[in-house]
Amino acid sequence: MAATFFGEVVKAPCRAGTEDEEEEEEGRRETPEDREVRQQLARKREVRLLRRQTKTSLEVSLLEKYPCSKFIIAIGNNAVAFLSSFVMNSGVWEEVGCAKLWNEWCRTTDTTHLSSTEAFCVFYHLKSNPLVFLCQCSCYVAEDQQYQWLEKVFGSCPRKNMQITILTCRHVTDYKTSESTGSLPSPFLRALKTQNFKDSACCPLLEQPNIVHDLPAAVLSYCQVWKIPAILYLCYTDVMKLDLITVEAFKPILSTRSLKGLVKNIPQSTEILKKLMTTNEIQSNIYT
Amino acid sequence: MASRYDRAITVFSPDGHLFQVEYAQEAVKKGSTAVGIRGTNIVVLGVEKKSVAKLQDERTVRKICALDDHVCMAFAGLTADARVVINRACVECQSHKLTVEDPVTVEYITRFIATLKQKYTQSNGRRPFGISALIVGFDDDGISRLYQTDPSGTYHAWKANAIGRSAKTVREFLEKNYTEDAIASDSEAIKLAIKALLEVVQSGGKNIELAIIRRNQPLKRKKYL
Repeated sequence: MAATFFGEVVKAPCRAGTEDEEEEEEGRRETPEDREVRQQLARKREVRLLRRQTKTSLEVSLLEKYPCSKFIIAIGNNAVAFLSSFVMNSGVWEEVGCAKLWNEWCRTTDTTHLSSTEAFCVFYHLKSNPLVFLCQCSCYVAEDQQYQWLEKVFGSCPRKNMQITILTCRHVTDYKTSESTGSLPSPFLRALKTQNFKDSACCPLLEQPNIVHDLPAAVLSYCQVWKIPAILYLCYTDVMKLDLITVEAFKPILSTRSLKGLVKNIPQSTEILKKLMTTNEIQSNIYT
Repeated sequence: MASRYDRAITVFSPDGHLFQVEYAQEAVKKGSTAVGIRGTNIVVLGVEKKSVAKLQDERTVRKICALDDHVCMAFAGLTADARVVINRACVECQSHKLTVEDPVTVEYITRFIATLKQKYTQSNGRRPFGISALIVGFDDDGISRLYQTDPSGTYHAWKANAIGRSAKTVREFLEKNYTEDAIASDSEAIKLAIKALLEVVQSGGKNIELAIIRRNQPLKRKKYL
């Protein structure tokens, strides 16, 4: 028994392994109901990759079925808006499939009927060059689902002759630096690349002790392990919702080799972006 | 480290931070941009108005408020907190006039607001006000003033400043472009305020509102485009 700071008495875990152990074991034994619930939960949280027309599941992983030389992944609403206005409007992109998944962050409890307005991951390829792929991921992929997502998209033995570019955002308060956050020029870009990525980034590399989280980290780790050249462009911003200035902070990437040839009309793209902003504005009177 | 010292306002962290106050400054950044410029014969406040819902009465969404005939302020941050602070400041302006028969100086009312904000960073059970304010006006001696307060309760005089979202970008613009020539005439000062806001305002100039006070004249509001 131990007393905490607030005076409550808490049972301390016993390392000696006394008679108490047997009682605890009985409570911990899994009943058939527990197993059933666990299996149901696993089914609910399964990541499904669906073909576009037929909406049936893909038997193999996406990149095993379709060869790919360039893959651009946008994770988060600002990165998705950037690709939508600058890249997707400069060519004809065809949807090849989508990944549907459910976790506690989804706004709906219905797992089977996620509508297309619900956020999930959509995969496109360029009609004029089907080796170029794009993924728009505006949903949150939970830790236990990231491995499944990678398996379903990249497969268990990916090709090495492709280049991956990941775009995502993070709140500037997550950026660890000796300067005060008030003096940071947010939004700003940082890059992190795998060992096999030989080109240079268009912005400084992410300094220590900062780390990358969630799906972008999972993809980068996967690429590092499989020796695939990949680069992540991380935008630190103080506005996490859809914001024009944050999206425009991604603009330096347009001049890199990753996106070269994919962007044609920049002024028109800026107009499209502005329209996207106004249609997506949610009314809130809390802050003025 | 931060998570153990940031729940209570009255607790310092080992390295001397008051995290709740610093987090309140993040709340300020969620408000739209406001810029203040002190000219020789004019003071200008410019704000980015966010678009109102279709059925909402536009007149009730106010970012610039008059505290008295000769003082006005713009804020960025939590709307409700601003309303409370503005009400207290207006009452204080009138109370001062009744007691000493003189209108408040801009510095006096700024100090009052700053003291109020500081009190809320040192009381248990309360949280800091999540607003920064730009207070402008002319004193009896005819000199123009611009002050800025923040959630920690500090206040400083400025020649030109910005608060709210992307304030840093606007401040850098002002540092480059605020010259004696730029504020030489009233129209130049107004132009500078508009140009500074256009650096960061979304969807062009449709959402800019200005308030100007000229020496010995009442507050004038202008909506642009």
